[in-house]
Parts: sequence; C-alpha cells; structure tokens
Amino acid sequence: MDAFLQQALNGLTLGSIYGLVALGLTLVYGILHVPNFAHGALYMVGAYISYYIMVDLGLNYWIAMLGAGLFVAVLSVLCERLVFHPLRHAPPIHDKIAAIGILLFLEAVVQMHWGSDFRRMPTPYTGILEFGGLVLPAQRLLIIVGAFSIMGALHLYLKKTMTGSTIIAMAQNREGAFLVGIDANRVAMMTFAIAGFLAAVGASLFAPINLVYPAMGHLVIMKAFVIIILGGMGSIPGAIVGGLIIGFAEALGGYYVSSTYKDLIAFVLLVVILSIKPTGLFTKGVR
Amino acid sequence: MDRIANFFASPAMKVVLLAFALIFPLIAGSEYQIYVMALAFIWAIAVYGLNIITGFCGQLNLAHGGFFAIGAYVVAILTVDHGWAFWPAFVASGVFSAVFGFLVGIVSLRLKEHYFAIFTLCVGFIIYLLLDKWEALTHGSLGIINIAPPEGFGLIDFTRTIPFYYLVLFFLVLAIVLVSRISSSLVGRTFLAIRISDDLAQSLGINLMRNKVLAFVLSTVYAGLAGGLYAGVVRFIGPAEAEVVHTFDIITYLLVGGIGTLMGPLVGTMAITWLTQAVQSFEEYRMIVFGPMLVLLVIFMPKGVVGTFLTWRGRRLASKAPAKEGQTRVGDSATSSKEASDNA
Amino acid sequence: MKVLKSFRRLAAASAVALAIGGAAHADEVNIGFTGPLSGGAALYGENTLEGLRMAAEEINAAGGITVDGEEYTINIQALDDKYSPSQAAVNGKRLVQQYNAPVIFTPHSGGTFALQAFNERDGFLVMSYTSVPAVTSKGNKLTVKIPPNFTDYIEPFSRITMDRFGNKLGVANATHDYAKYWTKEFVPVWRELGGEVAAMNPMDYNKSADFYTGVSKVLSEDPDVMFVGGASEPTGLVVRQARELGFKGGFILMDQAKMDEVAKVSGGIKSLEGSVGVVPLDKYENEGAKLFLKKWQEDHNGVATSETAYNYFAMYLIAQAMQEAGTVDDAKAIRAAIASAMDKVSVEHNPYDVDGIDEAGNLGADPQIAEVVDGEVVLRKLSEITE
Repeated sequence: MDAFLQQALNGLTLGSIYGLVALGLTLVYGILHVPNFAHGALYMVGAYISYYIMVDLGLNYWIAMLGAGLFVAVLSVLCERLVFHPLRHAPPIHDKIAAIGILLFLEAVVQMHWGSDFRRMPTPYTGILEFGGLVLPAQRLLIIVGAFSIMGALHLYLKKTMTGSTIIAMAQNREGAFLVGIDANRVAMMTFAIAGFLAAVGASLFAPINLVYPAMGHLVIMKAFVIIILGGMGSIPGAIVGGLIIGFAEALGGYYVSSTYKDLIAFVLLVVILSIKPTGLFTKGVR
Repeated sequence: MDRIANFFASPAMKVVLLAFALIFPLIAGSEYQIYVMALAFIWAIAVYGLNIITGFCGQLNLAHGGFFAIGAYVVAILTVDHGWAFWPAFVASGVFSAVFGFLVGIVSLRLKEHYFAIFTLCVGFIIYLLLDKWEALTHGSLGIINIAPPEGFGLIDFTRTIPFYYLVLFFLVLAIVLVSRISSSLVGRTFLAIRISDDLAQSLGINLMRNKVLAFVLSTVYAGLAGGLYAGVVRFIGPAEAEVVHTFDIITYLLVGGIGTLMGPLVGTMAITWLTQAVQSFEEYRMIVFGPMLVLLVIFMPKGVVGTFLTWRGRRLASKAPAKEGQTRVGDSATSSKEASDNA
Repeated sequence: MKVLKSFRRLAAASAVALAIGGAAHADEVNIGFTGPLSGGAALYGENTLEGLRMAAEEINAAGGITVDGEEYTINIQALDDKYSPSQAAVNGKRLVQQYNAPVIFTPHSGGTFALQAFNERDGFLVMSYTSVPAVTSKGNKLTVKIPPNFTDYIEPFSRITMDRFGNKLGVANATHDYAKYWTKEFVPVWRELGGEVAAMNPMDYNKSADFYTGVSKVLSEDPDVMFVGGASEPTGLVVRQARELGFKGGFILMDQAKMDEVAKVSGGIKSLEGSVGVVPLDKYENEGAKLFLKKWQEDHNGVATSETAYNYFAMYLIAQAMQEAGTVDDAKAIRAAIASAMDKVSVEHNPYDVDGIDEAGNLGADPQIAEVVDGEVVLRKLSEITE
C-alpha cells in the first residue's frame, strides 16, 4: 500500500509538470491551430535562464523562476511575431516546419553558449517530509503545490479578466471573435506569452530534482503532445487531466510493469486511443 | 538567360545529370568524394519517399527517419542473426516497411493535419524506443555490427566504394523514374487533389483513405529500401539512426530542394550534403544557420530551389506568350509540381 | 566569457577550414580524428581531442619525431561526426584519402565499427577510445582499444561492498551500450562470489524525466548494495534519491561516473559512504598523473578528464611506435611496434601508468580504485586489492 501511495505521489509530481507544459501548448493550439514543436525548446531555455539567474547571478530561486518566465514569455512572443504571424495564411505544413526550425535554432544556441554537459540546479528547499512510510522531498511538494496554484491562477485570469475572456472567446470561435471586434494580434501575442511563461515556470520547478541540459525538452514536449491529443487539442481542463493521466500511468506502470518501457507507456496509450477514437478522448467535434 | 533556364528545365538536362553521375567516379578527386556521393544518393532515395506523402499528398510524416532505420535494422537482423544473404534481406526490408507502413498508415491517416503530424512524431519515437530497448531482437543500444554487404556473386565487390556507388545510383535512378511515372499518372494527380483539399478530393469521387495509404506505403518503402542500402554500406547500425533529428534532416533536404517537385529532393540533398562537407569545421554551429534557414525558407521561399525556379520560369513564359498558355491553374503550388513533372 | 570562447573556437575552426585546401606538408604526418564535436556528446569529443592536441603540440615543440632518418611534425586532423557511425565512415575515407592519415582516433564504438568495415583494406590503424569489448574481440588486426578493461574492476568492487554491507544487490545503472556491457559482465561475478541479485532495474540516465519510480522499485526489494552509474551527474541524482528514500547501504559506481562529480550532485561525499568507484585524475598520486596535470593546468581550468589523459598518452604511444617501426604510413608496422614502444614512452606522458598491450589490441594498466570510509576517500591500486 505504501508503495502504491508513494508511486501515486510521484505520478502527481510528474503529472503536474506535464500538465503545465501541455497547458501552454494547448492554449497556443486553441488560438492559432499551430502545433508548436518549439515549445519543448522554450521549456529548455526556461530552465537555462533560471539556472543562469540562480547560479551565475546568485539570486533567489523565486526571482530566477520569475525572470525565466518573463524572458521566455518575450521569446515566445517573438516567435509568434517573427515566424508564426507571417505564416498565418500559409498551408499548415509550413507552420510545423518553421516550428522545427525554431527548435533546432534554440537548441544550437543554448549548446553553443552553455555546452552540452549536464548541469545541476540547486534548490533552497532540500528538506524531506515523512508521513508514515511515505517520503516526500520538499521540492516535490513545491512542484505539486506550485503547479496547481498556477493552474488555478490561470483559470481565474481566463474567466475573470477581459483579456482572459477574449482568449477563451477566440479559442471557441475565431470568426465570432473577429465579428465582435477582438484584436486577434493582441490575443495571439498574449497567448504565446502565457504559454512561454508556463513552460519556463514548469522547467524552473522541475529542474532542481532533475538536470539541465540542451535535450531536456525532447521527451517532455513529446509527452505534452500526447497529453493534448488525449485531452483534446485546445482544451484546458483536458490538458490538466491528460497530464495527470500520463503522470500516474508512468509512475505506476514504471513500478508495477516495467521501468525499461516506462517512456513508451504514454505513446502506446496515444496510439491505442487514437486507433479507437481518432479525435482524442474529450473532444466534441472534429477539427 | 532564358535559354539557360529552358535548358535546365528540358529533358536534355536529365541526360546531362545522368551522364555526370555516371562519370563522377572518374573525375572525382578521391574515393572519399565518391563515398559521400553514394551516401547522399541513399538519403536522396529516402527524401523522394517523403516527397510522395508530404510533397504530393500534403501529409507531414514525422516518422520517416524511423522507417529508414527499420529498413536498416531488417537487413541487419536478418543478415547477422539469421544468416540471410544481403539481397533477400534487402527485399525483406522493402516488404517489411510496406507492411509496417500499411499498419501505421491505416491508423494514422484517419487523422487530419496536425493530429497526423503529431501522431507520426510519436510513432517515430516509439520506433526509436523499441529499437533501443528491445534487446532480444535489436541488440538494444549496443547496435548490430558486421552486417553483410551486398553480394556481387563473384563478379563485383560491393564492399568497394565505386561499385557500390553505381549500385546506389542505379536504385536512385529507378526511384526517380518511378516517382516521375507516378506523378504524371492519374494516381499522382489524385495525390495533388488530396493535398489541395480533402473535401475537394472527396467531391471528385476520390477514395481518400485508399489513396493516402497508398502514398504512405510507397513513401515507407522508399525509406525502408534506402535504410537497407545504408546498412549495406556502413555495415553497423545503432538506435541513434532512428532519432528524430534524421527526420528533420530529411525534411530540410526536401524543403531546400523544393517540396512537391520532381528534382527537388535530389537538388536539396546534394546541396546540403556538400555544403555540410565543405563547412565541416563549422558543424557545431550548423543548426544556428540551418534553423533560421528553415524558417526563412518557409516564409520567403516555400517552394525551395527547384520550385522557385519553375514558378519563375512559368511566369516568364506566361508573360511572353500569354496566348499560348491555355491551361487552367489549380493554385500556385500545384502548378509548380505539375510543371516539375512535365518539364524537369 | 562563454561567448568569447565560442568565437575563439569559431575562428580556430575557420582557420582549419582555410587550411583544408592545401595538401599535407612533406615533413608532416597527419593523424586523423573523428568524433562528436557538435551535438549532445560534443564535450566528450572535445575532451578526447584535447588530449591528442596537447600531446601533438608538445611533440612538435620538442622538435617532432624522427622516423627512418627524416624529421616529421605531427598534425591532428579532426573531423566532426556527431556520434554518427556513417559520418565517422565518411570522415574515415576523407582522412585516409585526402590527408593520408595512417592512424585514426575515434572515441565511440559506433564510429569504430563503421571504420572497421574498411580499415584493414584501406590500411589505417583505428585507435578506439571505448570500453566496448567487441571492438577488439572480433579479430580486426588494425584496432587498438585505449581504455583499460572495465572487467578488472568488477571483482574488487564486489568484494569490498559485499564484505561491508551484505550480499543482496540492486541493479539500477544506466541503459546505454557501455552500461549494458558492464551489467552483463558484472552480475555473473556478483553471483559467483555468493551474492544474490534482488532487483534488476536499469534506467535510461540520459532521457529519464524522473528516477524516483525506478529507484523505489529497486529499494522495495531491500538490497544491501546498489549498482549505479552512467554519466556522473545523473548518477548523483540516483544516489541522492536512493538516500532520500532511505537506502543505507553502499553503492558500486560504474567507472564512467567519477566519485567527486557524483558527490557534487548527490549531496557531498558523506552521501556516498561505503561506496566504491573511481576518482578523477587529480586524486591520483603517481608521478605521471601529477606531471600531466601540472602541464594541463598551464592552459586549462579544472581537472583533466580521463578521456583527455588516455588520449594524450595514446598520441605519445603512436608517435613512439612510428619511430620504432621506421614508417609513417605502414599501419601494420606501426601496430606491430606498439608493444616495444610502450616502454619508451616516458613516465610524464603516461598519467595512468599504462604498461602493456595484448595480442587483440587491448591496452593494459593498473588503475586506482576509491572507497569511501567514514566520509573519507581511500585510494588503492587495483593490484593491491586483487593480490
């Protein structure tokens, strides 16, 4: 039983990070219908920026997280302005190839500047909490609490503020949004900024229990794609639920089935689900 | 100017290219250049495969590098672990890619656009993970060594570079001829209609699924056979060959040359391969240049070298002889590949 | 600072590119290198190459080598292969034909296998820096495997930890090729010595998002000793998480991980109490290591890696072998002369005390192993323990 709870806790940690990254991806998809393959690179850049602020500048962990969030938000908006915006009328295949171009570029730049060795980001929260036989390092608790607070904040922002509602409106109905006079450019930029911010914060939360290296985004972004397909592309609750499903599946599957094939679980799940239901689990219509 | 342009687009150009390829080993400075050329030809075959599904049919397949690796692994496993000779194993690599491609195709092609791209990205990753983890079959991360080279039956020694070069050239020419036949046939036009719009194609009475699966299987066979040849020359294969970056490389070749054109894959592969060799010492910075180049290409020159050339020439011809140019145009991009198949 | 360094490298690279046009000097012998100089393994590739470059510069500064009455300087021709076997093969062809390189160094097994497809016929010696046994065990006559056999570590590692903690082993090392070879050799030895393998759960150190699941799976079997190791940093993470989850036993660190580096991530040397493994060169006390490090520190920061030190030695060895053989282009003769050249490489050029080469082409040495006892690292030579 302890083992089960322990794994469930691991699943929750993983799931909340996956959820954060997938949220950004799904938001961007909802607004622009662009599958942003460069999102994983933004996640990776976020980790490096927070590493830089914390280790090289010696500033506080929270400042590093915020700094990384803002930096990547700007970077993300730049991608939208310089790349995706000019391509908005191009065939969909062009967006995807351009996104791949951004991904390759960002990785190369980071590698040139920082090299490809593993780096370790320190955390001020090194304590370990114990409940009965259950072990929970403080950083992991922070990840879970942090991720869910951010999801909550995002929810409030989207529901309660004017800009937030325009994002939702545009995601639900593009033409309708134009008709009521929503500035599509502004919404697109805002969405990319939020997506970048979420990716960087997710990376800053996760980096202390993991390592920072140029390829760190690969697997995470692949899983985020699986998640948003599971949850329905463009669906916000879908991204969170999907993130948790994958997180639990990996932790429990890795423990009870096989940790060699742990990383396969998410992808096999996707193939099975799409084979049965080509539009994903929670989508309403075909897109 | 026009004369040169006409020549580039004329059938005579094909003869010149072929002649050049045939005498290349004689004029090459060293065996190294022939070896590079042979490897580039192999990649070009794979790029032609991607062009069928992505260029003609408009579906971005991100598992293409995975199918290349599967072809190589089929040859490797059959020759090393089961004692097959190269040629039957090579045929098997094509057959297996076709079967596997068919299975993936019938599942993935029900998905539209982005779903399809993401799904195939995941398929590519599953292929990589399986090759890496399934030790009993694939030797896992250790890779497979001592793969059998193509047998020359006592006549030719294909472990030598020059005979192998001609062997690969033979397959490349075959691949191009086949693609050009396809693209000028009804099937090819059907693919184009699908690229322009699923709904349009359907309203024309085209069986979407059947044609998409056909294009997909063709493309995976190209990739698989290219992988088989690759295994025959390098004679070592590891799971790293299935990593997604190779798919990205293939896409770059295709995009630079001209997506959906007949000569684009060849032009793109040659250009990038030799460029990479020439700036070998800049390798580390390659992606800093290639990444933005991809972005700029899709924004400013989405048809690549060959596509842009053909469009430019098409416009010029049209402005000179507006009366003669009677054919109706089905959108810009479709025209370029049609011209490609007619002219290149 | 980093950017400056990158630009400097770029400048150096362009200088090389310009030089490519010209043919090799009459009195210059080209030594080839193909390895990852870009991509994920670039740092590793650079480290191995740096060892070769250092040795070549020193040899040239001391007047080069005299072969058959003629004087030669050594020129390292390095090409990047991004860790790809096919690219290594392309580079191999280029190095042999454009640069007439009689010897090609490569730091990965895939590249070695690709080169072995034609090295005997094209007549060049492959100097392979990889511990994969198949490199030399398949009968290729022109291959030398530079690093010592890791199998030498297995028995002493097992004995030390088994005596101190008990005989239940949990395997939680990495899954890349080298780690797999280790596991394959290690597990039978552990069993032979009377141990049992309680949990077998290798993990992908370079790609995994999280080790918790894997580590807790191993710990659920309550092992006395854990076998871990891959690159140093992820190994540190695994150690740290095992300690967090309450593991009290000792670790066997696969030799790819360096104990100091692991400790930086795992939470200090104390977290490694009772572990056995290898240490970086600066902890070595033999003369060769000290002299080498002194030279290294004139131009570099930090501690030289083992790959740098071994390749440094290997370059000296090849230079000496060329002089012994009296030829700079007959690879067979150079290979044959390595055994007699071995004794003539001076101590200061041999940081790891490499002392022999066997028929198949494996270099042999007597490396030092480290054990953490009461929070202190204790070093012993391998031979002291096995005797």
